[in-house]
Amino acid sequence: MDPDALAKAFVEHYYSTFDTNRGGLAGLYQDGSMLTFEGQKIQGAQNIVAKLTSLPFQQCQHSITTVDCQPSGVNGGMLVFVSGNLQLAGEQHALKFSQMFHLIPTPQGSYYVLNDIFRLNYA
Amino acid sequence: MDPDAVAKAFVEHYYSTFDTNRVSLANLYQDNSMLTFEGQKIQGTQNIVAKLTSLPFQRCKHVITTVDCQPSAPTGGGMVVFVSGNLQLADEQHALKFSQMFHLMPTPQGSFYVLNDIFRLNYA
Repeated sequence: MDPDALAKAFVEHYYSTFDTNRGGLAGLYQDGSMLTFEGQKIQGAQNIVAKLTSLPFQQCQHSITTVDCQPSGVNGGMLVFVSGNLQLAGEQHALKFSQMFHLIPTPQGSYYVLNDIFRLNYA
Repeated sequence: MDPDAVAKAFVEHYYSTFDTNRVSLANLYQDNSMLTFEGQKIQGTQNIVAKLTSLPFQRCKHVITTVDCQPSAPTGGGMVVFVSGNLQLADEQHALKFSQMFHLMPTPQGSFYVLNDIFRLNYA
């Protein structure tokens, strides 16, 4: 499958899981995964999902503006760079964010997130 | 050296080279390097430096707001670095906001080169 199409499909799956079933994100991380969320460093699927499910909002919707990807040269991995908007329920204005993922293939033919870095883009 | 310190030092070196001697960025890329600049894909040092030195401005200044980094694999020494900041072009009133990610790989000489580089402006 075309890498750009793969990256786009992964990103859509990631954010739709985030927006509808945040606990389901556990399936996309492993013990060696790392998340840096607004500068805070978190390691391992359990801790990462604990962080994401404890963010101070119940409902949210990610709208993706750009997706760029490149092969990382590490074990068939792919780097994916996303920018978009994050609309929180009850907030008038959407937040802008950028996020990068380093995806590593799994034996089952899918991907997991090894590296994840999230930053809000303030005006 | 602490990885965060290494990332910060690399980023400062990268942008100061960009801002003062753009053509010397050639030393930071290799033949297998990839740049995606505002969606345009470019491969290899020569093509990357040709793109960066042909951008439609002579002078610019990058001001870095955030630098985050993580090792890109348990072994191998690679590092992903995620930067956000402002790009001030000479004669423009307002700075542009940007985000950029680098995947740095160690060189035998003990430094790093950029294997992957993705740049995006952050529009308001």
